[in-house]
Amino acid sequence: MTITTADAKAAQLEAIDESGWGARFTFFQPHNPAFWVYVIGVGAGAIGMIKYFGPGLGGTYRLAVTSGIVFFGIYLIPWLLFLRRQNRYTAQPGKLLATGFVWGAVAATFWIALPANTALLEIWTKLLGPAGANTWGAGFSAPIDEEWSKGLGLILLIALAPRLVRSAYDGFIIGAFIGLGFQVSEDILYAYNNATASFGVGQLESSLFILALRGFVGITSHALFSAVFCAGVMWILGRAPGERRVGRGILACLAAMFLHFAWDDASGLFRFSTFLTIVAPYLILMPLAIAVLLVVRRLASAKERTWMRELLAPEVEAGVIDPPLLDAVSGLHKDRRHFAKLVHNKRRARHLIETAHDLAQEIAVSAGHETPRVAHARAELLRLHRT
Amino acid sequence: MTTGIPGWVPVEHRWFGLDRRSLKPALFVLIVALLLIYGWPALNAVIPWDNATKAGDVLDLGDGATAVPPVGWQLESGALVSDRTEVVPTQDDVKLAKGGTTIQMTGASFNGTAAQFLDQVLTSEDPEAHISGAPATLTTTSGLVGVVRSASGTGGDELLAAFKMSQSAPAAAPALLVDVSAVPGEFQQVSGEIEAFLRSITPGANE
Repeated sequence: MTITTADAKAAQLEAIDESGWGARFTFFQPHNPAFWVYVIGVGAGAIGMIKYFGPGLGGTYRLAVTSGIVFFGIYLIPWLLFLRRQNRYTAQPGKLLATGFVWGAVAATFWIALPANTALLEIWTKLLGPAGANTWGAGFSAPIDEEWSKGLGLILLIALAPRLVRSAYDGFIIGAFIGLGFQVSEDILYAYNNATASFGVGQLESSLFILALRGFVGITSHALFSAVFCAGVMWILGRAPGERRVGRGILACLAAMFLHFAWDDASGLFRFSTFLTIVAPYLILMPLAIAVLLVVRRLASAKERTWMRELLAPEVEAGVIDPPLLDAVSGLHKDRRHFAKLVHNKRRARHLIETAHDLAQEIAVSAGHETPRVAHARAELLRLHRT
Repeated sequence: MTTGIPGWVPVEHRWFGLDRRSLKPALFVLIVALLLIYGWPALNAVIPWDNATKAGDVLDLGDGATAVPPVGWQLESGALVSDRTEVVPTQDDVKLAKGGTTIQMTGASFNGTAAQFLDQVLTSEDPEAHISGAPATLTTTSGLVGVVRSASGTGGDELLAAFKMSQSAPAAAPALLVDVSAVPGEFQQVSGEIEAFLRSITPGANE
């Protein structure tokens, strides 16, 4: 049994309550209207998907669709591993993130964005003429239809898991998963469209071409835009105490929409220079998008890091966790790097951080009570300290 | 949210078995989604096309290839030479419409003859299209030789014309498909304009 001061214990319990960490996520909620809207959206999206791919899958374009699914299914693996690493602090359950992913892949794309983009692109063609719409239409349509359709998924997840989705960082991570679903679904659609553009000649080469092209630019695509947009939505809603920042939230949403617009309309934005038209998306827009992402991630994680410190404070007072390890487990990349230098062993540092995180998670799941799992997680940390 | 048991909604929050507290976000999502899905098409339906082709207009098909559109048709997709935009022949389409008739021009990379390209198009497209007419040759004013097939049915008339956009090295040149479709009874009224349009197609500037 650890000895803690009453203040630290009270702060720990408050952090658990505020963050909702440890709460279970149940998808099937027939009493919840948000569940039915989710089912309608994904159901209608699935029907749209079958209508879109169905004729091709059953006929000439079978190879394009299946190779697109296989290639981008493989492409998904490193993305999931990367995003799993980002799902730190008061980590979201996999089932909740999968629910977001499916919304992005099925509902946001085939239920909302596809018909909305088709109509809006034609409106721009009527207003700007075909040449003007060719230059500006995509950038004037996609950031509205697609960022909003993905953002709606976050609103539904808040209604489905109100205790779990609290901080801007929750929005950031869930947004990334919704965006990743959208991205992969769109990539498969592009592989199919590219094959239809050549009337079915060289379908495998066509899918490989799309994999190479979209795979690379996907680094700063929907997953990134949605992470920034959804963090902005959470700042606007302010669901964690002290996190309501409407101005910052609107700015983040507009930044995501601007990056999306700039990427789609780079040929229009840089039309004064042929050289810039080719290189600016990679040398200007990609670094800009990554810089925005890092700033938003840093700002969004502030609350979660505070929760983590409060949650582990009693363990620090009890001497189970030392201050440098607390800084690492609740800190940024530079804090984890600093800790690795202190420990003189990257692997050991990683193990200590992960075990401290395990302890935090068990404390959260047990709502601050002492359980055999909490005791075991603590014993594991002490064992690692001794080795 | 609930009284401790998952899924149990306190009686004062129930509304036809649903939890009223989640109604607001659910309705918000539903309304915004429906606005995006049906609002844009509704707005699109009330905005008329206003981009009719004029005498002297020349369509830019990319790489110096051109075509002269019939006057008074709505140019719904595609660029004119006067727009001075960069057109990629295998990526940018042209769409012209007048009444119940549309002309769709699609470029593609294809190794082979115009006849082989048309066969590939027919193989890849809907088998229900019933393109039954025998292939015919059509030579444009500039000397490009294309292959034309047509079909008529209760749904209307369709004409497909395939070209390779080079006279000197047609095998490796980009292919062009012109797909004309008309509602029943309208093809005869525009057939003269369509023939003049097809004959106006010129190959690239390198020819």
